[in-house]
Amino acid sequence: MAAGAGALLASGFTPARAALPARLAAIDWSMLETALALNVPLVAATELKLYRRVVAEPAVPAAVADLGLRGSPNLELLASLAPDLILISPFYERYRPQLERIAAVQSFTVYTPGAPAYENGEAVMRALGDQIGMEREAADYIAATAAEIAAGRNALAGSAAASRPLFAISIGDARHVRIFGSDSNFGAVLERFGLTNAWTGRTRYSAFAPVPIEALAQVPEARLVIIPPVPPDVTRILAGSRVWQTLPAVREGRVHWLEPVDHFGALPAARRFARLLTASLLSAEAHFG
Amino acid sequence: MAESLPATSAGTRPPVPAWLIWPLLGLMATALSLHLLWQASPPADWLSLPARAAHELKAALVFYGLLPRFAVAILAGAALGLAGVLMQRVLRNPIAEPSTLGVAAGAKLALSVGIVLAPGLLAEGRELVAVAGALLTMALVLALSWRRGLDPVTVVISGSLVSMIAGALGAALTLANGEYLMSLMVWGGGELSQQSWQPALGLAWRLALAGFAAFLLLRPLALLGLDDSRAKGLGLAVTATRLGILLLAVWLAASVTAAVGIIGFIGLAAPAFARLAGAHSQRRLLWAAPLLGALLLWLTDSLLLTLAGTDASLPTGAITALFGGPLLLWMLPRLHGANRPHLAGLPPALGRTAHPLRLIVLLVLALITFALIGLMVGQDTAGWNIAGFDALHALLPWRWPRLVSAVAAGAMLAAAGTICQRLTGNPLASPEVLGIGAGAGVGITASLFLLPVATPLSMLGFAAAGAAIALLFMLAVAARSGFGPERLLLAGIATGAFCGAIISAVMASGDFRTFVLLAWLSGDNSAVTPMQAGLSAAVALLLLAPLPLLGRWLELLPLGAPAARASGLPVTRSRLVLVLLAALLTAAGCLTVGPLSLVGLVAPHLARLIGFTRARSQLVAAVLMGAVLMALTDWLSRTLIFPYQIPSGLTASLIGGPYLIWFLTRRRAA
Repeated sequence: MAAGAGALLASGFTPARAALPARLAAIDWSMLETALALNVPLVAATELKLYRRVVAEPAVPAAVADLGLRGSPNLELLASLAPDLILISPFYERYRPQLERIAAVQSFTVYTPGAPAYENGEAVMRALGDQIGMEREAADYIAATAAEIAAGRNALAGSAAASRPLFAISIGDARHVRIFGSDSNFGAVLERFGLTNAWTGRTRYSAFAPVPIEALAQVPEARLVIIPPVPPDVTRILAGSRVWQTLPAVREGRVHWLEPVDHFGALPAARRFARLLTASLLSAEAHFG
Repeated sequence: MAESLPATSAGTRPPVPAWLIWPLLGLMATALSLHLLWQASPPADWLSLPARAAHELKAALVFYGLLPRFAVAILAGAALGLAGVLMQRVLRNPIAEPSTLGVAAGAKLALSVGIVLAPGLLAEGRELVAVAGALLTMALVLALSWRRGLDPVTVVISGSLVSMIAGALGAALTLANGEYLMSLMVWGGGELSQQSWQPALGLAWRLALAGFAAFLLLRPLALLGLDDSRAKGLGLAVTATRLGILLLAVWLAASVTAAVGIIGFIGLAAPAFARLAGAHSQRRLLWAAPLLGALLLWLTDSLLLTLAGTDASLPTGAITALFGGPLLLWMLPRLHGANRPHLAGLPPALGRTAHPLRLIVLLVLALITFALIGLMVGQDTAGWNIAGFDALHALLPWRWPRLVSAVAAGAMLAAAGTICQRLTGNPLASPEVLGIGAGAGVGITASLFLLPVATPLSMLGFAAAGAAIALLFMLAVAARSGFGPERLLLAGIATGAFCGAIISAVMASGDFRTFVLLAWLSGDNSAVTPMQAGLSAAVALLLLAPLPLLGRWLELLPLGAPAARASGLPVTRSRLVLVLLAALLTAAGCLTVGPLSLVGLVAPHLARLIGFTRARSQLVAAVLMGAVLMALTDWLSRTLIFPYQIPSGLTASLIGGPYLIWFLTRRRAA
């Protein structure tokens, strides 16, 4: 802890209270994930009802207070909880003046146009670790994630699943998908798995969104990896879409529906995606022989 | 009722017949489509497309993607053109159509609610949901404008108000269900891409059925061109026929919305162009308008496809809406609008108060009471509580800025609303209708996408710039018609439609910066800083201070331009000053509580209702009333679903909406 405090001072951050570890609050979900992954004591975070449903991992302890919508965090409640440090991203800059009245505010960026989200996720975790004296935990988590991805790569190596390019997509409605490109978390995992991302087109904030589903036909041999959440009526409508039915991946049973993963998450989202994808590809392998 | 159709006033024509342009545009659409088809599949393979589409993806993309897309563009365009003609005829209103009447917005909202609340229900009857939403909106719009004899301008104002309420509800729904953002947004933009023939076939039989019914109703329709008393004399159940035709039109419009989303202004453009092309008789209009509607949408879509490629996601509906605003403006001078006295159109009063001062004092006391409640009463993790002195010390810094900004915004919007209603003599006029708020929205959009990081200050600057540009544009247009009240309102609606189209085109991109836009649209004031709150209070005081001096103008202008001029009023100059002031008040108010709050509509009504009939006292009472309303609204927004917060602008429109319905549907007697 002493080393941690030293690093803290070195990084120029002066905590409002002397006690360590800091009491953190997260407005941004990718920072919430990052902090939870480090087992930092969090006092509050936003939109936890939805988080538990669509991000799920890392799990939020019951003691963390729900601040309400990300688009409208409850400042009064946050102030009453007296955090030491509030974690945001550039998307929440408009709250900065208000948040700074409560505690120190640190903005971390996982998503910038054209920059790889995975590396950003690592950097953000390292930076947060530095800031709160948990460099070791941060380094451990980064290493563990890399190791888990490497293990996944080994498991997939030589399997039929690995032989085809993949589209990692989320479904917007019956006619539109988001395709996750090379600079997204999901694209990074595909690359580290040694898999080919079927989408080589331009990306914008890690997903070229939204594109009509026929764009998926550009690589007919590809697998489709669908990353929920999806709108509730989409499965019914996809069933009625002739173009969807004619997609080679659909016709030949190469569609993988995963559990929900945060589409714009940080390193923990990449790790969750890696685990879910490996399991899905391997079970398909077992299934189809 | 006195209105005429646009083309009848377009007296002299160029020697070359104007309709010649349409076959040319038709050729262009055909050529573009053939080109797109050619690119997708060589002509030699065209005949075998249906057979190969079952298993071959490239063929499926053409046969189930591109071809039905052309078909849907043509059919939806035709359906909207027909719906427009029918609505315009029944309501005898040359600017009625699915988007100006709010029907499309109502259908869209119903579908959004369906997606979120009851996906099961939607699976059974997507169209039924859309039709129900559209019918409800139509009924609401008619109820809102009934008292003014379905006067065209009032109908369109009601339509745009109802669209606004629907938009506010939709925005709140989207905020509360972040995960479906993309679905709701794309679809709001009117995207035409297809995956099967089903939607095209569905639209085709509906269009055929409605077209057939429309031709059957041709005789009654022609009779409707006569006034009600004569039509009755001919033994026609006028109301029943009108209602039947209107139902037909609403059903068509809702089907299109259910199939492809909101396609803006085709229903306005098609009949207008048909008349310009020389289709003056009802019979000609009935086939010419659907034809031109089909052509317009087909051409727009194939142009977009050619320019952007078939892979891109194109909000065709938002693009057509971009043309809607200018088109409305162009039609303005052709709209017959009289500068007749409109005093009857002011909000009703329950009688004139004998003790205005006493009532004012009561309003001030109410404001103080609600402000105190807003500052002291709240919830925390343990439940409801009234803050004691110590707790208050910690809570006040969070509660007073949002309260003050809400109160200032309420006061400013109420003043702007009073001015608008006095100026136009129309009880439905309100700052929301002036289109200034939407202009501020375009400014905010620009700041989000042009600057690397949008700070509150940069957003404020861009929003003010957007509002100012929208205002100046509107003033320039309105100046050409001497600031006639109805023209002014319509210019506002047109500007609002244009700005709204820009915002929805951006929203359709699905980019998640649009979250900030949504927050503003829904009127979220939870993050107002003390500095911003102080600023809005100062601006409010500055802008409200000169208002008492304008009492005479506001008293005389509703009497109509001739009467006002006779009393020695510089009509044009006084209108200009008032418009400018109303616009500034609107821009400043909208910055904190969004463009949809309806306070500017409701507060002046309430002030008159409790007995403030004279201009100056109504203004003072309305400002207080607006402040009281927003103080209450801000408190409700903060506490109702703690720790989650409802955007204040949205809460306000949820209060104002029901009031509107109550006010405009109750008996004349009051």
